[in-house]
Amino acid sequence: MSQQDPVAERVGSPRRTFAMTIVAQDPSVGDERGMLRATVPVPADRLEPGPRGHRFQVIDYDATARVLLPPATLTAGDGGPAEADPFDGRPDEELLSDPAFHAQNVYAIAARTLAAFESAIGRRLNWGFLGHELYLVPHAMAEANAYYADDVRAVLFGYLPPTARRGTRGRPRGLRIARRGRLDPGAVYTCLSHDVVAHETTHAVLDGLRHRFLMPGLPDQPAFHEGLADIVALLSVFSMPGVAKRLLGRANLRGQIADQSVTDQELKHNALFTLAEQVGSALKDERGSALRDSITLTPSARWASDPRYSEPHSRGEVLVWIILETLARIWRKRLQDITFAGSVNLDRAAEEGATAAQHLLGMCVRAIDYLPPVEFEFPDFLAALLVSDGEMVPDDKHGYREAVRSAFARWGIRAADTYMADLSQSSLTPIYRNLSYTALRSDTDEVFRFIWENLELLEIDPRFYIHVEHVRPSVRVGPDGMVVAETVAEYIQFLEGTPAGLSRAIGLRPPANVPSGTRVRVLGGGTIIFDQFGQAKYHHRKDIRDIRRQRRRLNYLVSNGLFDGDSLGVSDGLPAGQRFAILHQPDTDPKETW
Amino acid sequence: MSAPPAQPPVLATVRVRMYQVGFGDCFLLTFEYAGQAEPARHILIDFGTRQLAAGLGLDDIAREIDAHTGGGPDVVVLSHRHQDHMSGFGGSGTDAIVGRWKPRLVVRSWTEDPAAPADGDGPSGTGLRAGLDQGLAFAKALSQEITSARGVRADLRELAVAQLANQAAIDRLDAWSQGGKGAYVNYGKPLAIDAVVPGVQVHVIGPPTVAQHPAVAKERSTSPEYWQLYQGLAAAGAFIPAAGDQATGAEEKLVGPQRWVVEKLQGPQLRSLLRIVTALDHAMNNTSVILLIQAGDRRLLFCGDAQIENWEYALTVAGDSRQVLDLLRGVDLYKVGHHGSRNATPRTLFNLWTDPGTRDRTMTALMSTKPGVFPGSPGSGTEVPRQTLLAALGQRMTLCSTMNLPEGTSHIEVAAPATGDAAFTVVTPP
Repeated sequence: MSQQDPVAERVGSPRRTFAMTIVAQDPSVGDERGMLRATVPVPADRLEPGPRGHRFQVIDYDATARVLLPPATLTAGDGGPAEADPFDGRPDEELLSDPAFHAQNVYAIAARTLAAFESAIGRRLNWGFLGHELYLVPHAMAEANAYYADDVRAVLFGYLPPTARRGTRGRPRGLRIARRGRLDPGAVYTCLSHDVVAHETTHAVLDGLRHRFLMPGLPDQPAFHEGLADIVALLSVFSMPGVAKRLLGRANLRGQIADQSVTDQELKHNALFTLAEQVGSALKDERGSALRDSITLTPSARWASDPRYSEPHSRGEVLVWIILETLARIWRKRLQDITFAGSVNLDRAAEEGATAAQHLLGMCVRAIDYLPPVEFEFPDFLAALLVSDGEMVPDDKHGYREAVRSAFARWGIRAADTYMADLSQSSLTPIYRNLSYTALRSDTDEVFRFIWENLELLEIDPRFYIHVEHVRPSVRVGPDGMVVAETVAEYIQFLEGTPAGLSRAIGLRPPANVPSGTRVRVLGGGTIIFDQFGQAKYHHRKDIRDIRRQRRRLNYLVSNGLFDGDSLGVSDGLPAGQRFAILHQPDTDPKETW
Repeated sequence: MSAPPAQPPVLATVRVRMYQVGFGDCFLLTFEYAGQAEPARHILIDFGTRQLAAGLGLDDIAREIDAHTGGGPDVVVLSHRHQDHMSGFGGSGTDAIVGRWKPRLVVRSWTEDPAAPADGDGPSGTGLRAGLDQGLAFAKALSQEITSARGVRADLRELAVAQLANQAAIDRLDAWSQGGKGAYVNYGKPLAIDAVVPGVQVHVIGPPTVAQHPAVAKERSTSPEYWQLYQGLAAAGAFIPAAGDQATGAEEKLVGPQRWVVEKLQGPQLRSLLRIVTALDHAMNNTSVILLIQAGDRRLLFCGDAQIENWEYALTVAGDSRQVLDLLRGVDLYKVGHHGSRNATPRTLFNLWTDPGTRDRTMTALMSTKPGVFPGSPGSGTEVPRQTLLAALGQRMTLCSTMNLPEGTSHIEVAAPATGDAAFTVVTPP
């Protein structure tokens, strides 16, 4: 434990950020000077060895080699960072072989990813599990994989040694606690890929915001997890200083390790770099969006029933395509403003791209608050984007919402396909009698009281079990300085019964081959947004009585074998914590599988 | 006066028997000639199991094959060297019967050819076969180290064991292949089967060689270095957690989050290993021989456990894939790949049979499988046989499967006339 001088703590302004060196993109990306790094601000925290802060702890345990490396000390005596970043200017070989650098890399990128979410949404975001700290295990196992394991409360990063180890101990041995460690610089470390760290941390953050998205639902739900994680990873790498410029024509996309030797990660061309012909020749004019290997996605309105999109990864890529298409449009628009005589400065162009990426990322993250807590489908995200951004920036003067809307429209996804009610437009007046404004901002019982008084306005059927799960306040500042103070409340509804019971209760006939004694669970729920006066503004609802949606969900679960013993729609039956590991398999071609 | 030139025998009937081997493959193709002018000829495609069906042993099946062929098949095809396709050929109590067989032709994948070419593709080389050999060495090491009989460790051990070479069976097949009787095939290789089975033509449409389709050697799971490093890790005791009494006491020193992580990562580490061995399993599956057999007007498709990486060459990459697709459109009998798993019947292939022009043709599918061997995890789509595939097959074709046979029934037999527009019909069980 470090000594702290209580007087010294109070004097002077506290540091808000620490500067840390990280890998800008990936160890294989660099120039003649070597691997491309970035020095980035990381939210300040009291850093114990690990590093361990109040939200993240790096634990360097290798479950394959069964070695626990010592926690990295990145701090000076007072719990703040060392005066200078110890990794600044160090040669590549040192960074690659020093486990303390790996620890710093994952900590910094994970902390920045969480911070990006928190600052966009305007409040602290809890994890999806019961605990304050997410564990980051930078060399968890010898496998070309990395994933968020919710049961371990950790993100596990795999690695691949470059060559077979010589010499053996021969017999299985117990855990070894090492005094110091040196890693093989030639190995492949997923913890050093910026996009992998950002992608996996996003799964963890989203799990905290919408934990029920891991419940059995429609295929868009896991697709949203993958798509959002890809989007955050992409946009976060893209906004790195220097990367935007270098990335022109290439982008590293996901936590998935390519089949080839991983030091050879392929960077993909994508729609980002579709630029108008008038732009200067220094910038490439690329077309097409090859998101997975060399697949070029072609937007089509009939994609949802195409079997090639049944797999969460490929389904999620539709979302990534949409966001990249939006970014391309916004970027091009921004470039037009600074193009003179047909050319634009490369640095400025890259900067504009990075700025556009940051804005778009903020839009996507804020929209999550406006999503219903269950039964997610893509139109929900579009509606949430449009409405939440409309609150922040009433006049869409940069055309961001228009770009979003038209990108979704290319895939036939319309906001009208989901139920997002503007309660101020309702013919019914909300009733607030006996409600306390203060309590409404934080108390689930008070929100339930509001629901109870306004069942007709909200079109909620009280026969079914209702539970208000969360009430969260959030305060945000729009780009023009306008403060938006809201309360976001989520409620869910459950109904369970046998197939015959459900049929009698709500007229829902489960699929024919469901045995009669099966316990079937159906869900509903919604998100209610209250404004700064405690007035209910928006209601994004998934009606539990929506028989068509329930039938679609049950059909999907049954036809994909989500038949867990004697229950349907209760759990997905996957081994604990392996959900995202399995998704990250170097998979067989999803278009060809059943 | 010279004798009139011999008439080539005319094929009259094509008969296929799918034997009940539980989770495994064993198919006998019998070609009968008009007027009994020629004795029938028999091609045996695979003979092995991973888990038998109740009440029938491999020796029972061997006796049946012996009876149905009158002393052994004329041609033996081994699609690939997984246990569930070859255990019957040796080392499983069938030797008394199988040892008497004298096939005149043994067909295996080019990856089995003992006469390794001079380039780096030999066992100690850098190519695909070297990679698979190293992978198998890793599987062997793993199967010896893991002794547990329960849970994920048991699954892991079983999967590793399923990869291992059954030396007795290999020796028998090698012995049969002596004297030029072994054919090691790849895509497009001509197979002179007509000399042994008159009137039958065989198109080999898989697997491609590395030269034909470099992508088959690009997977990590086909790289010798990759498997060597895992062997190294296994040798260093990496994958076998110490039993309680071997703990050095280091674990007991840990408290808090470190202890939590160390304890909680045991399960994920095992699952990681399971994924890795599964990749080897897939690589082995992709060495499967894919045969399109033309007998008169009938076309039969047998593809072992080939997955899309093997199929894609024939379906999309090969220069003559157009002709191959045309041939495939006319298939009458399809042996469902890999016991009905999700990734061995490419949709591209299946869609050939559901086009407006083809969907009214009667087709028959034979599936040799046993549910419960791979229950899979719900939602992952990994159960074998795969629900969605079963539904699609049932809708499009007459699906005959050993999984529905009553206990003790040894086989399903279908037959069709060799000429004319006819379909396979079920002979037994009635």
